[in-house]
Amino acid sequence: MPHYQTWEEFSRSAEKLCLEDPMKARVVLKYRHADGNLCSKVTDDLVCLVYRTDQAQDVKKIEKFHSQLMRLTVAQESPQCYYGNRLTV
Amino acid sequence: MVLLESEQFLTELTRLFQKCRPSGSVFITLKKYDGRTRSIPKKGSVEGFEPSDNKCLLRATDGKKKISTVVSSKEVNKFQMAYSNLLRANMDGLKKRDKKSKNKKTKTAQ
Repeated sequence: MPHYQTWEEFSRSAEKLCLEDPMKARVVLKYRHADGNLCSKVTDDLVCLVYRTDQAQDVKKIEKFHSQLMRLTVAQESPQCYYGNRLTV
Repeated sequence: MVLLESEQFLTELTRLFQKCRPSGSVFITLKKYDGRTRSIPKKGSVEGFEPSDNKCLLRATDGKKKISTVVSSKEVNKFQMAYSNLLRANMDGLKKRDKKSKNKKTKTAQ
């Protein structure tokens, strides 16, 4: 269960995991205001990628990533069109 | 698990965030959804079920209360804007950058 230290690596691996099997993969977001931290997890029940942060600058990245994944899951065309660094923030 | 309309889901989600401000966590889950309403039986055929490709399921909980909504490609634009604003407005308790504070970033948070 890799914990990623950099956003770059996390978003790349997460994007790949989602594209491999969109039906199996899910994205989980956990926010604790009391502790001031945010955790993003992407998993397909075999592999689990986690990114934790307490930095305000990461909120925008995570929120953008979330929106992009939402668009990807809702898109009717084949996911291959969205490939090519479109998701990496 | 309460299934809501997109707008209602956003309202309830705001409430969840506000409720968990003093203590507690908010969990949000996003997953692709193919429109199934019954589980797939191990044996036998699935009766007349056509998997749709353009929906996703969004769930949120604070550990006690659960809410969910289904977003399809038609609503995704409007929903996504509202959802992004909601997240950005509510996830504001994190540390700002100490070194080289960029004034532009803190101002755009408003």
